[in-house]
Amino acid sequence: MKSLFVEGVSKRYWIPRADAETPRVESRLDRMRRALALPLTREILNARELWALRDASFDVEQGTVLGIIGSNGAGKSTLLKIIAKVIAPTAGRIRGRGRVVSLLELGAGFDDEATALENIYMNAAINGIPRAVAQRRLDDIVTFAEIRDHLNTPLQFFSSGMYLRLAFSVAINMEPSLLLADEILAVGDLAFQERCLQKVRELARETGLTVLFVSHDMEAVSRICDRVLWLKEGVVHRDGIPEEVVTEYQNAAWDMLASAPGYKGSSHAAKYGEILDVKLVAMDGREIGSPPRSEDVHVRIRFRTRRAKARVRCAIDLMSKGVLVFRSAQPELLPVAAETAYEALVRIPANLLSETNYTVNVSIMLLRGEEEEHALVVNKALAFLVYGEEGVSADDGRHRKGVVNPTLEWTLQTEPDAVRV
Amino acid sequence: MPSVSEAVTADAGLWVIEPRQHSAFARIRELWSYRYLWWYFASITVTQLYRRSALGWLWLVLRVAGPIGLNAIVFGDMLDQAQKVDRVPYFLFFLCGMATWVLFERSLLFITRSVERNRRLVTRVYFPRLILPVSAVAPGLVYLAIILVVLAATIVVFHQRDGVWYVSWTPRLLVSAGAIVASLLFAIAVGLWTSVLQARYRDVRYALRYVTPFWFLLTPVIYPLSEISERYRWLVALNPMAPIVEAFKWGTLGEGIFPTVPAVISLVLVVLTMFTGMWFFNREEAASVDKL
Repeated sequence: MKSLFVEGVSKRYWIPRADAETPRVESRLDRMRRALALPLTREILNARELWALRDASFDVEQGTVLGIIGSNGAGKSTLLKIIAKVIAPTAGRIRGRGRVVSLLELGAGFDDEATALENIYMNAAINGIPRAVAQRRLDDIVTFAEIRDHLNTPLQFFSSGMYLRLAFSVAINMEPSLLLADEILAVGDLAFQERCLQKVRELARETGLTVLFVSHDMEAVSRICDRVLWLKEGVVHRDGIPEEVVTEYQNAAWDMLASAPGYKGSSHAAKYGEILDVKLVAMDGREIGSPPRSEDVHVRIRFRTRRAKARVRCAIDLMSKGVLVFRSAQPELLPVAAETAYEALVRIPANLLSETNYTVNVSIMLLRGEEEEHALVVNKALAFLVYGEEGVSADDGRHRKGVVNPTLEWTLQTEPDAVRV
Repeated sequence: MPSVSEAVTADAGLWVIEPRQHSAFARIRELWSYRYLWWYFASITVTQLYRRSALGWLWLVLRVAGPIGLNAIVFGDMLDQAQKVDRVPYFLFFLCGMATWVLFERSLLFITRSVERNRRLVTRVYFPRLILPVSAVAPGLVYLAIILVVLAATIVVFHQRDGVWYVSWTPRLLVSAGAIVASLLFAIAVGLWTSVLQARYRDVRYALRYVTPFWFLLTPVIYPLSEISERYRWLVALNPMAPIVEAFKWGTLGEGIFPTVPAVISLVLVVLTMFTGMWFFNREEAASVDKL
């Protein structure tokens, strides 16, 4: 059963032209004119329209966790705010079923000077929920938020973690049919994030809760979402299964970065050689976007040399969550001919990587003679997501953690000489 | 818990969001389903007036008593028996004038700022926005209550001293109650316009600060309506607050003349402002949120 229909929704804002758009060097007259202009006339004369959302259409099956990704200003928050009825759409229609609870911003609808208990009731009221429902759910709220000892403490004395726990706990306990979460989990500690994500999944499965989850955390998105929507400049750009959309999104982000002016990729080194492409290839040589954890995979680096013969050493840095997982380089320098294309392959064994996102930085060292040394470097040449065999299993977080997850051998036996207690 | 299941099933229904706003009538029904929120906004508007102060709620009393005491001394030497308006001690006359005026003026001020003050909430959570202006009458009502207590005490004190009940213990008091309701409605009606405009242009509050003292002088609070010469009575008739203030005095003290024609005009104006205000608020609230 579909629980949400978004039909051709658009949102237009009138943006007053920013002062930054006035010429940087302005004459005294310009400055005087600007200072004397009444704000109202300035607003009317200079306003320009901005379409935060353009003809967005999609529908959502009940019980789906829908991830919404996109760069800043792509319309993610606007979409959520329209569904939450905070702002009205300019065009289009949204139909839905049941109670909508939104977590659009941390602390929205919380009063710092009131106690946690008062805030729970107040938040319920703001969401249009009778006091009796809040009372019935009070125990669940307090237990999940782990704030039993601080119920009568004003919120201003809460740590940001406690604050977040309370906000999330209140929201999910309001018996929503549709939960709107905007980047909210970015604040909490990892353990709590994990619990929230599991709770969201559990509610989606058991009570048919539909969740719209906006996040920049691609790892979380690909792990908990059933489906991902990629918004680009206010338009639904892609809509599909998380692995594909996330990988494509990350590659696009990389492309944009690489084509941006000022990018110091291989430009200065282009005289000596050029990195043509970096791809992930399966054992049979086919290019793949996201590899399964259970199979070996190659990182393939294609490059070409320029002028003269040289010796090269290729290396990759595997990164995850801003951490260098490892660097691996060819063990020895190998000679290459001039003006030739080469292909370097490095095999990453199965059952080593985690079910998470990785990026690869590539560097190629070119040596001519004994002294001349040049490096071709491409940062974030590749981004990919590793998925597990069974997709995403619910208790992965408890049993497997870390930027790598080698499958290691375990044994358990009785120790004959152990001291028995 | 019948009320609970009822509210839940009402919520479990289908909903539609469209650019066109719902009718004002549907909005009022929605207000009822959010009734839990009224008390919250009302109480927070009042408690914010003395939060974190050492004197606490005493500030509420001081805020009303201060200006009243000062005005009474300046304009009428409060205990001077020679100063009487229609056989009523001036202080009593003045208190009766202030009751509905303070209710109106304070309410209008708080209503005007209600949407802007809660912009953090308004831009992040949905609830019927109409709750904000309506519940912002709370401080005005508290001030009115304080004035009424002072008024009652004064009546008793004057009775002890003069042996006269200045208050008319007749059904006329119902007219006073009506005047209170009318000034409340008028404050909301005007506030529906000003709160939306204030959300966009902060000029409104500054302008209001400038306008209300003049409005105060154009309203027969510190002088009786009968003092105004016939030539300018029509001007008073255009001010809906004038007959409201006058009606309260007439109902409570039983002195003066009941301004029948201005009262009817006033009521028509109040109703008219209320309906246009509802229309305007309903139409513009969405656009206002974009600009907060």
